[in-house]
Amino acid sequence: MFSKLAVKNVGRSFRDYGVYFLTVAFGVCLFYVFNALETQAVIRYLARHPRSDVVGAIQRLIGVLSVFVWFVLAFLILYASRFLARRRAREMGTYLLLGMERWQVARLLLAETAVTALIALGVGLALGVALSQALSVFTAGLFAVPMTFFTFSVSLPALGKTVLAFAAIFLLVMLYHALSVSRRKLIALIQAERTNQELRVRNLGASVVLFLAGCALLGVAYAMLLTRGLLRVDALFWVMLGLGSLGTLLFFRGLSGFLLRLCQSSKRLYYKNLNLFILRQFNASINTTYRSMTVICLMLLLAIGITATSVGLNNTVEQMAREAQPQDVELIAWPEEEGDDLDLPAVLMTRGFDLSRRCARWAAFPMYEDEEGRPCLLQKDYQAYVDAWGETQAGAFLESWGARVLDGDGGTLVVQRWYFLADYAGDSQEAEDAFLQAVTDIPATGGYQYSTRLSTWMDLVGTKVLVLFIGLYLGVVFLVASAAVLALQQLSQAADSARRYRVLSRLGVSEKMRGRSVDIQVFLAFFLPLALALIHAVVGMTAANAVIAEVGRVDAAASSAVTALLLVAVYGGYFLATCWGSRRLLRSGT
Amino acid sequence: MEQILKVEGLCRDYGRGTVTHAVDHVDFAVEKGEFVGIMGPSGSGKTTLLNCISTIDTPTAGHIWVEGKDITALRQKDLSRFRRERLGFVFQDCNLLDTLTAFENIALALTIRKTPVEQVEPLVQETARLLEITDCLNKYPYQMSGGQQQRTAAARAIVTQPALILADEPTGALDSKSARLLLDRFEAMNQLCEATILMVTHDAFTASYCHRILFLRDGSVFAQLERGDLERRDFFRQIIGVVARLGGDQSDVL
Repeated sequence: MFSKLAVKNVGRSFRDYGVYFLTVAFGVCLFYVFNALETQAVIRYLARHPRSDVVGAIQRLIGVLSVFVWFVLAFLILYASRFLARRRAREMGTYLLLGMERWQVARLLLAETAVTALIALGVGLALGVALSQALSVFTAGLFAVPMTFFTFSVSLPALGKTVLAFAAIFLLVMLYHALSVSRRKLIALIQAERTNQELRVRNLGASVVLFLAGCALLGVAYAMLLTRGLLRVDALFWVMLGLGSLGTLLFFRGLSGFLLRLCQSSKRLYYKNLNLFILRQFNASINTTYRSMTVICLMLLLAIGITATSVGLNNTVEQMAREAQPQDVELIAWPEEEGDDLDLPAVLMTRGFDLSRRCARWAAFPMYEDEEGRPCLLQKDYQAYVDAWGETQAGAFLESWGARVLDGDGGTLVVQRWYFLADYAGDSQEAEDAFLQAVTDIPATGGYQYSTRLSTWMDLVGTKVLVLFIGLYLGVVFLVASAAVLALQQLSQAADSARRYRVLSRLGVSEKMRGRSVDIQVFLAFFLPLALALIHAVVGMTAANAVIAEVGRVDAAASSAVTALLLVAVYGGYFLATCWGSRRLLRSGT
Repeated sequence: MEQILKVEGLCRDYGRGTVTHAVDHVDFAVEKGEFVGIMGPSGSGKTTLLNCISTIDTPTAGHIWVEGKDITALRQKDLSRFRRERLGFVFQDCNLLDTLTAFENIALALTIRKTPVEQVEPLVQETARLLEITDCLNKYPYQMSGGQQQRTAAARAIVTQPALILADEPTGALDSKSARLLLDRFEAMNQLCEATILMVTHDAFTASYCHRILFLRDGSVFAQLERGDLERRDFFRQIIGVVARLGGDQSDVL
């Protein structure tokens, strides 16, 4: 009988359960996608390369980060169930009033939660599998990964991990429900809609002190970050993170405490249109708001920081490719027998690589070894190198091999290896193909090796893809998570205040004014955390750029542009959708 | 005397096929400064009639004029403005905003009409004095008693000096002492501020404060009673007489 009532209840209060259901399904979906990174075509492509240790490191990083994501999702779902419990408190009160035992009501709630959780888990997993496939196709296209690496796949470990993680969250939720029913008084349940638990009068002075303390803590954390740098992970690093988080919390707590008083002190502002209502609305849920604002702010910081850093790093990698390989082609061959002559240009010519047509400039020379085993280069060969590529390049070449220039003709010295260096002429891809064709299976050598700038570049692109992909992936996940939390919070708040808007409508507040009031509330909720997160991010990026600048050049303009674009698209999109949804919710309520 | 409200041939039907005539060809008028009651048993159409006048509901047929303006012809946008500027409401469930203090609840009615800032505070204080709620101006609705809440709602309704105050069972949820206090204040509003009040009630004691009472049955006006110079006690007896003839609701009298 109870299961029947539970299933019926879920169906009946679908509008209430809708928010909860979406939250859970969304959380499951996100968690799966995050953990099923190995199903991504790009990752599988990279895993094939010798860089698979990097992929392993990424997997471990994901493991650590997914713990953090779990906490975020647990917070989100507990929040959603609290919203649900509050909305249905009266119904629970009625059950108790009718003579149901407390444990029966608790069991009813548990059964309802279980029904929703099971459905949401199924829907969420299905969505997650679909989303990760779509993402795989999209990114594979973006990074020009061969389609052979794309197969439809489901990550079983990720699946298991997701189910386990959510089972743990549901246990928490059930515990919460059981406690909330067994501990709350009947009168509180019956009158839940009348009293507003969040309304707590706050001391103005205390709020200002909290706010200033928060600013001071943030200042200390910033100073530590800028003087110590980003990469020194020791005890002080965690102290710095702790100070930053606590500072953010106090900042919002203080701000929410005196924002209302501040506006109240200006009567011209406070007693204008709906301003006093809007501010009171904002303040009514301040206790939950300042906590969630802190979490959102930190998540946004992660999103912004990760995205901007990865894009900046990506451009640095490209710069490095140029420096690693000064010539288009470098071929080194060892003689088969000591003293043998090797004419590399001739060999290449006979094997179909036309030097006069394919090369803008080239040089071929032997490298001798002196009595001490040190490599040396003949003066005339060195001069040929200088003629082709200039003094500085030639100097760099000598330095990289630790060679010296030898006057005269090698005399009795032994040729250790033969060099062929060239820059392509015309279509470099065609020249590359011709060279690769010619260079396969050269006979009569004691072994040879070659590298081309194009292949080096391709290799580095692998790293670049990895950095960019992981960075954008994590950035988007955190951005979407924070935006979704805010959207859910605002929508549930709109549902909560439908009655108030009905009163406003009766008092003759036009729909336009009511809509504006909703928009302002959503705006405050979205942009207060963003503002502080941006300040955090600027400081954090300054520290991060100092690290990157040691390795290469930082492209601040590109990284800020990409990050801004992502922010506007995802965060802005959620903001508009929330405004629209809240307005709709309130319009249907009148 | 100036006519504030005029209702002519008002009908409001519900349902398709078997139509229920919740309000069926009602005609009446209210003059400035009058305190008019509408009585009738449950389901007689009192609240539907009030909802039509307060523009929350749209009538099926007929016209309603407030200060000579036909409000049944107003568009949605103008309706909001009309409600904001010409009407005041007191409902049974009082409809105060729970996030606002009593003071702010009253002030809100002024701020949404774009009243100049410097007038807000004096007007609220003055109205609060009239309704004797000065003590609880800084309290939230859930910190006040039902009677105080209702008087705050009344203050909110009158602070804008509307042409017409509409009250739907204002004493419905109050005990007799709180009800007496509230009605006392209604009388004060009516006499000191010349507020025109239209009140729906099914309670004979509440109705005895009115100058004139319309009795509804099955959607149409069944009888009308004028207080004239009668003492309230005598008027109350007259009302009970009519209620007895109407049938039902006897129990509510006692």
